Amino acid sequence: MNQGMNLVWSKSLHWEKYYRPQSIPEALKLLEESGGHARIIAGGTDLIPQIRNKEKEPKVLVDITRLSGLNEIKLENGFIKMGALVTHSQVAESPLIRERALALSEGASRLGSPQIRNLGTVVGNVVSGQPGADTTIPLLALDARVKVVSQRGERIIPFTEFFIDTGKTAVNSTREMVTEISFPPLIENETSISLRLARRKALALPILTLSVVLSADLEKKAFRYARIALGPVAPVPFRAQGAEKLLTSVLITDGIIKEAAQKAAQESNPRTSLIRGSEEYRRAIVANLVERGIRKGIERLEGKHV
Amino acid sequence: MSKEKIQIEVNGKMVTLEVEPDDLLVDVLRGDLGLTGTKVGCRAGECGSCSIILNGKVVTSCLIPAMKADGGKITTIEGLEKDGKLHPLQKAFVEKGAIQCGFCTPGMLLSAKNLLDQNPDPTLEEVKIAISGVLCRCTGYQKIIHAIHVASETIRKQGV
Repeated sequence: MNQGMNLVWSKSLHWEKYYRPQSIPEALKLLEESGGHARIIAGGTDLIPQIRNKEKEPKVLVDITRLSGLNEIKLENGFIKMGALVTHSQVAESPLIRERALALSEGASRLGSPQIRNLGTVVGNVVSGQPGADTTIPLLALDARVKVVSQRGERIIPFTEFFIDTGKTAVNSTREMVTEISFPPLIENETSISLRLARRKALALPILTLSVVLSADLEKKAFRYARIALGPVAPVPFRAQGAEKLLTSVLITDGIIKEAAQKAAQESNPRTSLIRGSEEYRRAIVANLVERGIRKGIERLEGKHV
Repeated sequence: MSKEKIQIEVNGKMVTLEVEPDDLLVDVLRGDLGLTGTKVGCRAGECGSCSIILNGKVVTSCLIPAMKADGGKITTIEGLEKDGKLHPLQKAFVEKGAIQCGFCTPGMLLSAKNLLDQNPDPTLEEVKIAISGVLCRCTGYQKIIHAIHVASETIRKQGV
């Protein structure tokens, strides 16, 4: 039997205090007072297993699920805004997200299982800092930004600067709190798509996730811009900027699409993994998936439901 | 560690409980309330055996601190039958042979109930997605899917 396995489950995880603040300032005060020993819990779908595996050992949990105003998806001042308590199910079912950011709806609907999607939050998925997270990749392609608050004030961090290393973000989760993620909604002649390769359709970590956002100049048969996000192919969520550049402001041909797909494979850096496959295999599927993503994106721009 | 008071509605009955700050809902349901129909499998949210319906949504109770469920409304597998009569889903599972060892059955039934409550006439794909969070290791998915369709028909014709 696996010696590392603990078969006596009860009380194999532990924390001392469980607070349920009623306001954001109260939550921040509790974090500050705990001197680095507290963690915020919303969905808990990452945190509870991490505590059980002793990857995190907080003494204090600050439950933010009672805070008001954080469970909404709204369109405000030209941005789609999602509060810290918005779940994957909410995003997957939101007509606003489906209409103006389909890639995010697709990403959220493939994450985990119905149970996990009902509990887990998009903000939590992002803050966990995993490079192939199902909502992080589409949000990176959608040019999202993160609102972080602490007792010292508020800051907005773009996604491109938010991820520091695997499991590490610009947020100090023991003192700061992400209250909102926002991004510009797609407009006419823009489209987005997410593709995912995994061993099975539920409860399987992705071998590769891809999100593409395309803004078309239909007259010139060109893209005003293309954003291609991939994961996990690097320690942090990855933008294939070389491939994006190849696709920008040129006549889109078969050759260009193939060239961009190859470029994305070159510039990404997947590692050989027992779970996800060899480096060679994963590089090959980056090219395949990027090509498929761009082609499907073009079909969507042409009004096809793919 | 000091215990804290929580109040939850379980299968239509209000209960007040004293729990430790680090008690998980699944253990409170099984241990304090004796509702052992909710199973414990992986304790990581991956097997779905501990699925319950909390505030109208199917969730894995192994990932929920008991204190987070304070004020919530819970349905466990014990809450499915009414006045000693099995729920149409339970009946269909029995009649169509959708149970082998039975360990995944509570999670399957509650996943199916949560689906039919929102979508009384689901497609095959919708049923597959609805039960995708529960693992059956007896490989009985076909019969489970069939039973859910049979139950959905019964409910549409006769009600619950």
